Amino acid sequence: MKSRTFLFISLNLVFFLTCPNIGWTQAPREEIENTAQHLATLLNVGRLIVQRNQALINDPRIGNKGFTPEVFEHEVVDEFIRQTTIDLKHLSSHLPSLAKELLPVLLESSMEVVADAQLVINQRGIGYKNFIPATFGSQAARKFSNRSYVKIKQTALNPRNLKNMPDAYEENLLKRLATKLPVDASFTEWIDNETTLRSVTPIYYSQDCLVCHGNPKGILDISGYPREGAKEGDLAGAISIQIPVNKR
Amino acid sequence: MKEYGSQGIVPFLIAFGVFLQGCGLVFDAVELVHPLAPHELSSICSKGQVRVGISVEPFRPFVFPAVYTDEGVRVTGLDVELIREVADALTTYCGGQKPIVPTLHLTRFHDLFIEMNEGNLDIFVSSNGGNIPGARPVSLWYSIPYFHNDGIGAIIQKPEVAERVRAEFQKQTGNPDTLAAIQAGLSGLTVAAQKGRTSSLYAEANLLNVRLLICDSLPASVETKDPHIDVILSHHSILDYVTKHVWPDWHLLTRNDGTPLILTQESFSIVTVDENRRLQWFLNNLLYRLEESGRLEQMRRRWLEEDYAPTRRATTEGLPFEISKVPEQYDQGQCRFATGR
Repeated sequence: MKSRTFLFISLNLVFFLTCPNIGWTQAPREEIENTAQHLATLLNVGRLIVQRNQALINDPRIGNKGFTPEVFEHEVVDEFIRQTTIDLKHLSSHLPSLAKELLPVLLESSMEVVADAQLVINQRGIGYKNFIPATFGSQAARKFSNRSYVKIKQTALNPRNLKNMPDAYEENLLKRLATKLPVDASFTEWIDNETTLRSVTPIYYSQDCLVCHGNPKGILDISGYPREGAKEGDLAGAISIQIPVNKR
Repeated sequence: MKEYGSQGIVPFLIAFGVFLQGCGLVFDAVELVHPLAPHELSSICSKGQVRVGISVEPFRPFVFPAVYTDEGVRVTGLDVELIREVADALTTYCGGQKPIVPTLHLTRFHDLFIEMNEGNLDIFVSSNGGNIPGARPVSLWYSIPYFHNDGIGAIIQKPEVAERVRAEFQKQTGNPDTLAAIQAGLSGLTVAAQKGRTSSLYAEANLLNVRLLICDSLPASVETKDPHIDVILSHHSILDYVTKHVWPDWHLLTRNDGTPLILTQESFSIVTVDENRRLQWFLNNLLYRLEESGRLEQMRRRWLEEDYAPTRRATTEGLPFEISKVPEQYDQGQCRFATGR
């Protein structure tokens, strides 16, 4: 009996050590790629919820808008379920452990951004407050990146905020995406000897975005930036994510 | 102590008590030669921050409403740019090793005076003039002006109001008397001014025949529909800006030759408490240098004459502020008739 057990363990060890692409290393890779996808979706959902509430946020006649972090959370959770079938309030045991660790951090960071903006949102008599998907996304990504080893960033070829300038990798990919039809997918790649995952999820202009980013090109929008002259479906930018394997 | 015994300690304590009576004088004398408590500037240097009060009520272009930016919540305006200058000068004064950070406390205008008196602020900057009678509380000190030759102006919606005032000017020959023309021209009209601001002090003292409304903020004056407001008084430079950029339905009240009608002159100052003598000299010397170098004029042109988007400036040069100090939900308030007139 003892010799049989010893033989079984030895064979297993040999199998795992000689087949590095199966088992231990492959599972984390998939896990990391899935997690990157979920994080990009969650940040995008947060942006979408801000956009849906834009008219309320910019209403100068109302003081307390009721767009609290809790209301935001509720709407994000609902939309995230709709898009992914994942319930952020009751994360399934089937979900990768990395996703279970990081999704709540991004949700919490996003809620903090809404909490920080309450003073601005609830000003009565002030219309445009610059609390828009882009500024929300920048802050939520920054807060999240500051408290995890995963870096999330909004980027574009010609970003209004220079801190969102693309690095060489992002620029290269964005240039290629800009010339293609919109795609509903993320681009993932392992770099630096397979030690870091880079994931880029494109964002395209919708009709609502064109108020500030559309035509006439060059004319200043309400926030003082020149309009980009974009059309619906043009590439607006991307959510870029970097997850290193060895800092987990 | 053993030598004195329990009985000997009593005369010792009595003698010690007699000497203690003069201790206050000794301490005062020592402090004159070598200050024991750090003065306000060294205190700012050691803390690495200067606590600055600023009005939460927007007075564009001196203070714009707080906006959200990629960097978080920010406030901007001419007053904020001046605060940056003060902080930079303090950094130099403190040796330049670490920057002096301006910690902004946004609070209601009338609370700035309370916060200052309670020692919660080092200075406040809030388009505030000290040369209008009644504007300067006893315990506070006002710097030399950082913004000269402003004054109290007026805005209207109906052209009839301007015609009434101009008709009064036309009756006058030789030396025009602005106050007399204004008093006669506005007689019986509803005039709004902001609570605690110099416009309300002017109106209460000089416009006795008007129905005076005291409003919590300038936006509240503009928003009020009942009663209908004929004239709003405020700082001329602010009214000039808001009629061009924010409330185009309102127009500056002008003289017969089309120049803006200024009811009285006013200059804006930085405020601190009366005891902060070193800080006062520091501020006056700084403002004089900024005036001499043309920097104040440049700031004035930048905010009053250039075409710009405040949101964009808030992103690039705005300052953060302590959210906890801001009234929980900023409401621009309302208007009510002045009492006791």
